[in-house]
Amino acid sequence: MLRLRNERSGLRGTTRDESLPAAADEGDRSERAGAASRWLRSNKVQIFLFTIGILLVWQFVNEALRVPSYLLPTPSAIARALYSGVVDGLFIKSAFITLLEAITGFLIAACAGIVLGTAIAQFAIVERLVYPYIVGLQSLPKVAIAPLVIVWFGYGFSSKIVVSATIAFFPVLVNVIVGLKSADADQLDLMRSLNASRWQKLRLVQFPAALPFIFAGLDVAAIFSVLGAIVAEFVGSQAGLGNLLLTFNSNLDISSVFACLILLGLMGTSLHFAIQLLRRRMVFWSREDEVRKL
Amino acid sequence: MSTVLKADRSVAESPAEIRITDLSMRYRTVSGDSVFALDRVSLAIQPREFVCVVGTSGCGKTTLLRIIAGLVRHTAGRVHLRDREISGPSADVGIVFQGPVLLPWKTVLENVMIPVVVLGLDRDAHRRRAMELLDLVGLSGFEDKYPKELSGGMQQRASIARALVHQPSLLLMDEPFGALDAMTRETMNLELQRIVKDAAITVLFITHSIQEAVFLGDRIVVMTPRPGRIAESMTIDLPRPRELDAMSAPEFGSYVRAVRRLLNARGMTH
Repeated sequence: MLRLRNERSGLRGTTRDESLPAAADEGDRSERAGAASRWLRSNKVQIFLFTIGILLVWQFVNEALRVPSYLLPTPSAIARALYSGVVDGLFIKSAFITLLEAITGFLIAACAGIVLGTAIAQFAIVERLVYPYIVGLQSLPKVAIAPLVIVWFGYGFSSKIVVSATIAFFPVLVNVIVGLKSADADQLDLMRSLNASRWQKLRLVQFPAALPFIFAGLDVAAIFSVLGAIVAEFVGSQAGLGNLLLTFNSNLDISSVFACLILLGLMGTSLHFAIQLLRRRMVFWSREDEVRKL
Repeated sequence: MSTVLKADRSVAESPAEIRITDLSMRYRTVSGDSVFALDRVSLAIQPREFVCVVGTSGCGKTTLLRIIAGLVRHTAGRVHLRDREISGPSADVGIVFQGPVLLPWKTVLENVMIPVVVLGLDRDAHRRRAMELLDLVGLSGFEDKYPKELSGGMQQRASIARALVHQPSLLLMDEPFGALDAMTRETMNLELQRIVKDAAITVLFITHSIQEAVFLGDRIVVMTPRPGRIAESMTIDLPRPRELDAMSAPEFGSYVRAVRRLLNARGMTH
């Protein structure tokens, strides 16, 4: 693919019809990335302006129609609630608790998913014995186990971690298996022609080949880990953003509910970008769009 | 037991690099039929000989290479690498595949060092050798680049360096330049001739280009398909080093015609 693109761009360099739109479509990778980032920059500006517009319309319509704040607060009321919650420390403390639950759950899910996924991809016996359970659990809505986990692990930190890890585990596991099995047959032949051991094949070929897939799984898992923590907090907890959200909701303090949702959104987005940052450093040879997300 | 001893003695008498005796390879297709990819193929290759195998697609030439490489098991016959019957991959063999098959997450030098790492050889000593080989294939200065920063021809050169780094006595090449454009291919042929001379190595080179085979080979083995058999083995008596001009010489043309006649004689058109 890469070579094909280079040849194309070489061809285009000599024929010099860059003004043709058809030729512009076939730019090489770096050129396209440059154009894309320019486009993205202007797009970001557009999204920002569009958002401001929506908020203004929301504020105006809400005030004009006198929508009660226990149904839908105005953006300015939400901003005030967010500000006061952050300033008095309650939001920060709760968000920190939820984030800690989610990240711990995520790390457990990531490690367990990579280890078990590798075992399944490497050993046929493990695959035969364990895979049916995995498929069964995969089709089970994991949220449904949250009440049970509360009974087993109590109202504290550990039950949140367990639910979070359980939900985040599956996307990692599935991607690890698919990724390890996606290794190039020729590269494996090369390893075989050198009498490489199973461990050498895994370390030198299969695991690096799986990394783009694993990161796609980790990306989903990061979002799922926050979901798991919140669900567990809903079912039974003494702290955290999910706990706070339920309290505000029962007091019909909808502005503060929205403020919590904004914090949760920020949390998910930050985790996503953290994974992407790590991905770009570790999987420098492949681009994200080359991996189908599962 | 007695036949084994006898066969071993016959190998010891002639120091061939590869000796293939009545080699057959039968596949069972999905529909249950059995197909002979190779049918009683016999071939001996002497040390430092450059043998080209030509044939159309499906004549079993890649199967032959994969059997010698120890990547697939044959169904009948025997293959000896020097004095040992092959039972699997051997460290005495280097392989150049149809594509470069470089690991995109490793630098060129790291890729060339893969056999050293896998075979557990002395890394420091072989790193020097890897650098020399990169120089030999014209890639010095590119050792810290990643494969995608190299052109197709340069990637294939890196894979030739990789195939030679662990000092194999036999180099197997499976249509290594088939994916390259005609100009690059000619350059690679010239350079391969030089590399092989420097490395003092036996080469089994598979190709479907008659010109390439005549240009490179000390000997050409012509294979015909269904079932895969050796039609003829022909010595190419052209002086070395061969220059690209040699391809327009009348002797060169007559070798090409002779090979083509053999291929066409079996109702196959090239």
